[in-house]
Amino acid sequence: MSKELLEIRDLYVNAGEKQILQGINLKINKGEIHVIMGPNGSGKTTTANAILNNPEYKKEKGQILFEGENITNSKTDEIARKGIFMSFQLPEEIPGISVTNFLKYAKNKVTGKPVKIFEFKEELKKYMEELSMNSKNMERSLNVGFSGGEKKKNEILQMLVLNPKLAILDETDSGLDVDAIRTVSKGIEMFKNENNAILIITHNTKILHSLKVDYVHVLVNGKIVTTGSQELAKDIEENGYSKYKK
Amino acid sequence: MKKTELNEINRNIYDIKNKDEYDFKIKKGLTPEIIKEISIQKNDPDWMRDFRLKALEVYNKLELPSWGPDLSELNMDEIATYVRPKSKLNNSWDEVPEDIKNTFDKLGIPEAEKTSLAGVGAQYDSEVVYHSMKEDLIKQGVIYTDMETAVREYPDLVKEHFMKCVPVNDHKFVALHGAVWSGGSFVYVPKGVKVEIPLQSYFRLNSPESGQFEHTLIIVEENASLHFIEGCSAPKYNKVNLHAGCVELYVKDGAYLRYSTIENWSKNMLNLNTKKAIVGKNAQVDWVSGSFGSKISMLYPMSILNGVGAKTEFTGISFAGKGQNLDNGFKVVHNAPNTSSVVNAKSISKNGGKCTYRSLVRINEMAKNSKSSVSCESLMLDDFSVSDTIPVNDIRTDEVEFSHEAKIGKISDKTIFYLMSRGISEEDAKAMIVRGFAYPISKELPVEYAVEMNNLINLELEGAIG
Amino acid sequence: METIKLNETPVRTARNFRINNIKLENIEIPNSLSNFKNVTISYDKNKIKVEEKANKVDLAYGLEHTLTEQVKTEANKNITLTIDSKEKAEAKINFKFNEQNKELVDNIEIIAKENTNATVVIEYESTSKVQNFHNGIISVSAKNSANLNLVIINLTNVETNNFLAIQDTIEANAKIIYTIVDFGGKNSITNLYSNLIGKCSENRINTIYLGSKDQLFDLNYIGELRGEKSNIQIEVQGALTDNARKHFKGTIDFKKGCKKAKGNENESCMLLSDTAKSLSLPMLLCSEEDVEGNHSSSAGKVGLKELFYIMSRGFTLKEAMKLMVRARFNEILENIENEEAKEKIINEMNKKLD
Repeated sequence: MSKELLEIRDLYVNAGEKQILQGINLKINKGEIHVIMGPNGSGKTTTANAILNNPEYKKEKGQILFEGENITNSKTDEIARKGIFMSFQLPEEIPGISVTNFLKYAKNKVTGKPVKIFEFKEELKKYMEELSMNSKNMERSLNVGFSGGEKKKNEILQMLVLNPKLAILDETDSGLDVDAIRTVSKGIEMFKNENNAILIITHNTKILHSLKVDYVHVLVNGKIVTTGSQELAKDIEENGYSKYKK
Repeated sequence: MKKTELNEINRNIYDIKNKDEYDFKIKKGLTPEIIKEISIQKNDPDWMRDFRLKALEVYNKLELPSWGPDLSELNMDEIATYVRPKSKLNNSWDEVPEDIKNTFDKLGIPEAEKTSLAGVGAQYDSEVVYHSMKEDLIKQGVIYTDMETAVREYPDLVKEHFMKCVPVNDHKFVALHGAVWSGGSFVYVPKGVKVEIPLQSYFRLNSPESGQFEHTLIIVEENASLHFIEGCSAPKYNKVNLHAGCVELYVKDGAYLRYSTIENWSKNMLNLNTKKAIVGKNAQVDWVSGSFGSKISMLYPMSILNGVGAKTEFTGISFAGKGQNLDNGFKVVHNAPNTSSVVNAKSISKNGGKCTYRSLVRINEMAKNSKSSVSCESLMLDDFSVSDTIPVNDIRTDEVEFSHEAKIGKISDKTIFYLMSRGISEEDAKAMIVRGFAYPISKELPVEYAVEMNNLINLELEGAIG
Repeated sequence: METIKLNETPVRTARNFRINNIKLENIEIPNSLSNFKNVTISYDKNKIKVEEKANKVDLAYGLEHTLTEQVKTEANKNITLTIDSKEKAEAKINFKFNEQNKELVDNIEIIAKENTNATVVIEYESTSKVQNFHNGIISVSAKNSANLNLVIINLTNVETNNFLAIQDTIEANAKIIYTIVDFGGKNSITNLYSNLIGKCSENRINTIYLGSKDQLFDLNYIGELRGEKSNIQIEVQGALTDNARKHFKGTIDFKKGCKKAKGNENESCMLLSDTAKSLSLPMLLCSEEDVEGNHSSSAGKVGLKELFYIMSRGFTLKEAMKLMVRARFNEILENIENEEAKEKIINEMNKKLD
């Protein structure tokens, strides 16, 4: 079986009237952690949304393949069921649906199998302890009234429960304090294994202090301008993006 | 939540049409002779016959409302106001005629009675065919019976309260009700008695081109409490049916009453119903209301907070689909110090349906230190439906805290995308959001009714969105 | 002397809610008007054209038939302002009522041509205690991409009957900002109808009212959103003392086709006496799916905690009250750039709250 999970080929994407991505190429294999870094407005979030085919972003050109299958124009829920997960920068608040019920329903959709309540609850409990989450939140409406940190932890919890093949973390570290970042990194460590992969999208390097990553891509003005190892992140932390801007 | 529930619903339950068989059907129209005939058929005492005739006079004087939905299609000359079913009042389901019993069976009433209710009343067309209550409540002095029995057996209680809370001249359809009322429930909860398990009355209109005019009178004495549920439905006919019921609630000092309604009339029904509660010192009335059926609905339950520290809460949802004009809302009048009201109203419009939230909050001069907070939310599911919010806030003194908020909009694309990114299809995502939107109301209902409400929502949504 | 029924809401509700219209008794509508001389108009002559005439505009709503007809046929002041300059232009019209100039029926037309940018201030003030009568129509047309700041100040005395109907049409990318100061009149009855027809048209209505004695304010604002991405914001802040009454009727109507339109309405009334009365009807009417509409309304007393805090800094109760009202009005007052006008308003505010 091929090791390749995701391949993006020469992708051009518009948001509204504006062209954001201008020819992105990217390959992610099983077992790898990739990071896309870049200044504000460089197209990081657009990349994540394009992979999940958010209808607000229009693909002008290019292809996205997942396990060799063309998913460029697949519906978002189909893409999710194939095994791609995205942790949202700003998770939506949904009144009237409890976190537990939502997760049960989503797990059922993603696995296509009925969820065994007892096992599910045990699993949930384990993850929540690891993520130092308040179990009272589980009966509250999804993300409603959650603090920024609680929302982000909830995204990581969803990732662990849904156990995708590829997890895209869009600015999951932004706006979090040091403790929360540590918890999120812990979640990522728990998730990671040789059969899945992670794509971290971030504009700062804090989360990379506690994670070992394989590739760092620098995205500027909708193009990947350079790719390197963890060292590249360190360089950006010290010197910023200026030398990559035209 | 589960897909399986989605498939179980069957609109047919509500649409079962029994043959239009009856013991007696009054001729169509509205004249003193017809009223007298109803009175004879119902074996009214004299005072009630006179009451009916006076109400008819008031009816003839009053005009149709100059606001709200167009009622011009209503022609009283085409409506039979009294239809006596082929059944007497029974206290055992076995004695109820087969086809009528089947209808209530399919609506789940006898089953609910066994599992979760302390008493049940069932009305078919103009008369109550079944009434029963648990033995221990009878022993505690609780009365739960049909209105006709109450007129006969508790004449003083009835005379003191009947159409005193909702006077006959309130509006045209109350006057009509006063003239032709038939059936309904009478509940009396003595001082200090807490009825822990709900009582439920179910109203079923089967006969075409007819009306249902049940009268519900509930008296909850000092420091007593009760949860009362009413359900209503009818099969669909091509011509207009009319429902002009009247609910009068007396909640005495320190008492508590919760009044829940799931209304699912057929879509040829004009539902012009009147409900009002008078609330005593430190007493509370809570209304929970789900409005799904009817062609036109004009329904504004009202709480009159007369006692110091009286409270009321209204939690309601309307769901208007094709051809429906649901003009619903709430009225509250604060007449005493330290009173409070909380309103949480929601509406969903789709497939050309129209929802209107119409309300009144009046805080009178003497209601010092009172509070009122109102929240309305309207969801539009397509661009050819209509949703209006028409709230009147009448604040007549300064020591009050009053706030009102309203929102209107559609389901956010971002929210749909978020749910879809978790593997949920677009249709399911939308249904999930709508159910979540309705959750504050469904969570207030007993669990079977919450399930019924979710089923109704799923039914309404099927094929309509996506 | 007669009873008139005016300022009907666009949609009726139950009659016993007493808000569908306002009935006024013993209103004398003068039938032979003498000339109104006490008016000064100052303006940037090379940017704005002023003419002593005005078209008879048909009103979609208006206050009432007799009053509307009076303006159309008997106005004793007709003024048209045509704004024709891309640079910021200014005009000010000041009507001063006194013993000789007691009755004003004015017909004002403001045309803001494409891409123009202007501020127009219209003041109505009484300089004596004698009863005045004012009946006016202000019709505004904001052409494509015009920007208009319209300030309307009512400082007539508390004997006056003040009737004003405003109507506007806002084209694509045009924007009107209203600042309305409604302090005067025994009865001050205003109808404002805004028709947002253009794509991305915008209207911001900011109103402050202050009622004392037996003053009655009846405000009937109607915004109809027709253009895609059109936007209306209605902000009404007021305070009532003594036996003053206010009726606020605000309607935001999302018409079919106004995709992505937004409407917000916020109304708040400070009740400074236990006999003051606030009646409000914030309506949202919606026939379009992809819109965002919000309204909020509140009423109540000045917070005791805030009052105590201010008084602990050495202010008397009355001074503290004034400060609280002032604080509430400040944001809207900031829109008025004309210092002289602003000072007049603040003086009047202090006088009324004494």
